[in-house]
Amino acid sequence: MMLSTSSGPRRPAWLGPLIAVVVVYAIFAALTPDTFLRTQNLLTMARQTVVVAICALGMTMVIITGGIDLSAGSLVALTTVVVAWMLQSGAPPAVAVAVALAVAAAVGAVIGTLVGKLRMMPFVVTLGAMTVLRGAAKGLAKEQKIDCETKGLETLLSADVSAPGLWITLALAILVALMLGYTRFGRHVFAVGSNEAAARLCGIDPARVKLLVYTLSSFLFGVAGVMELSTLTVGDPTDSIGLELDVIAAVVIGGAPLAGGDGSVVGAVLGALLMTVIKTGAVHNGMPSWTQEIVTGAIIVLAVAIDRARHGKGRR
Amino acid sequence: MMKLRGHADRRSGWADERRARLPRRALLCALFAVAVVACKDKTQAGGSGGAPAGQGKRLKIAVIPKGTTHEFWKSVHAGAVKASKEEDVDIVWKGPLKEDDLKAQIDVVNTFVAQGVSGIVLAPLNDSALRAPVKAAVAAKIPVVVFDSDLQGDDYVSFVATDNQAAGRLAGEAMAKLLGDKGNVIVLRYQEGSASTQKREKGFLDVIQSKPDIKLVSDNQYGGATTESAFQKSESLLLAHKAQTGAVDGVFTPNESTTFGMLQALKKSGVNKKVRFIGFDTSDKLVAALREGDLDGLVVQDPFKMGYLAVKTMADHLRGKPVEKRIDTGARYVDKASLDDPAVKEIMQPDLKKWLGE
Repeated sequence: MMLSTSSGPRRPAWLGPLIAVVVVYAIFAALTPDTFLRTQNLLTMARQTVVVAICALGMTMVIITGGIDLSAGSLVALTTVVVAWMLQSGAPPAVAVAVALAVAAAVGAVIGTLVGKLRMMPFVVTLGAMTVLRGAAKGLAKEQKIDCETKGLETLLSADVSAPGLWITLALAILVALMLGYTRFGRHVFAVGSNEAAARLCGIDPARVKLLVYTLSSFLFGVAGVMELSTLTVGDPTDSIGLELDVIAAVVIGGAPLAGGDGSVVGAVLGALLMTVIKTGAVHNGMPSWTQEIVTGAIIVLAVAIDRARHGKGRR
Repeated sequence: MMKLRGHADRRSGWADERRARLPRRALLCALFAVAVVACKDKTQAGGSGGAPAGQGKRLKIAVIPKGTTHEFWKSVHAGAVKASKEEDVDIVWKGPLKEDDLKAQIDVVNTFVAQGVSGIVLAPLNDSALRAPVKAAVAAKIPVVVFDSDLQGDDYVSFVATDNQAAGRLAGEAMAKLLGDKGNVIVLRYQEGSASTQKREKGFLDVIQSKPDIKLVSDNQYGGATTESAFQKSESLLLAHKAQTGAVDGVFTPNESTTFGMLQALKKSGVNKKVRFIGFDTSDKLVAALREGDLDGLVVQDPFKMGYLAVKTMADHLRGKPVEKRIDTGARYVDKASLDDPAVKEIMQPDLKKWLGE
């Protein structure tokens, strides 16, 4: 029912970001054709998008419910520390990853309970969680980076077509998209975000939906953390500071209004890809970092402006 | 390529599940996208053909600092530019977007490997995390020179840096002399897991702890990546140890941002000139503070020489000349009296304008 407001005959939300990715890619390709078009560069960009993209899957769900999660970066850092710490204590990689994901999901369950059952503001709860988790990561790591034998985890993510990390990301994206689009739970997520009171009247329990959404999204942040560890090869408590802002930007570029009720998994992944293309293109062109930051920021604002205009036209 | 195709697959799946009819315009756009990608791929195959750059071509060396805003890195940049002019090579200067962001630095290294530069000159933010990207570079036949901070393993061609522990000892000995071998000392550390500053801290602490009458009141606080965070940490550290009552006699900070942050905090607490303060690295403001007497001394490295030698070493290696595995660029203790020594001036105020055109 609620989904019908976001489908219908108008253009799909991910079309804008797709065009943006293609245009920006084409511009950089035209500027540095001999290096930007190498297959290895495409794979490197895909690899660099993985962490933000996986986080964006979770963040899309959270933002559809009208919430926000500022603790994503800290949770990613905590996950890298937990995995590294477990590995250092001699645990096999599978156990280390399982424990880290369980920790991440548990963190999400706590946030979900506070937001859902106790009806606290998601902004405030996750702002607190951001600092608490960062501190926990530093404490667990004894204010150091944890060196560990990565025991094969480092092969999870590499600039190679056979790297499992790329395929896991793709599979997760499809799963989350299908879940949001086809399942009853998915419809409930959109319903809670569009109009919580109406959803409650229809017999949906918003507290339960939010508990599940935050648990799932934090679990996904945990998965992103495992991928991050695969890149870093050390547990780094100071890693990913501000990552949540990149993730939120990706989701917003992907066409999700922060007010909730709408959002696109495909759009969010494209949004993440767009930022990587800009970042990589800047390196290839030797652009200084500050121009890169201005361009990225401008694109976020532009994306939302276009989205607004599109929505406005739809109503008239 | 894979990634883009992946998106195309998901896109159609999404359209079905939304039960939205795909507008013709969108379809055209998608076709256009595929066409653009396909065309470009052909250009690439016909163009360089993926051959490693640098064979018969002009050498292109990527220089990756830990950050780009500190004065220290500007001197390194100037030195690198000087070497590039002398050796007639191109350099690309690119640091992580956020100062001291490990993941961002790994991404920059990977991007240069994907780009296929002739060589990479890198100041690793972490001695083990950068091993994998450096291995990947070497596997892609791109040699790596490491500078400023060490890297585990021996995948690199040469390591060009200050002997940081010796430099830390210089600071420790100067501090002991200033304090007459007795008093309370604070060390504000720089950042968790940064090898070069940890060695300086260790060198300093080795000397200080060998003096029975010098008491170390704090050495477990970290200033963090920015001057702002270092300032706040310094302020609370001075408060916590009652610096105003004269309970702190000496302070050591291991890099530019912690030194400047601590300097501001000492001034704000009104204990500058009362507390003996030795910092590390230099900038115009720190030199001014040294002249004012707010700072007693600085251990200075030679970042200009470091950037110069790192790029020169890489150029030599690429041209088949033998290079040393370890190159020490030296450090020196500077106080107010030695500031006007021409040798010191050369190190402290290299002619950045000449090389960077700022």
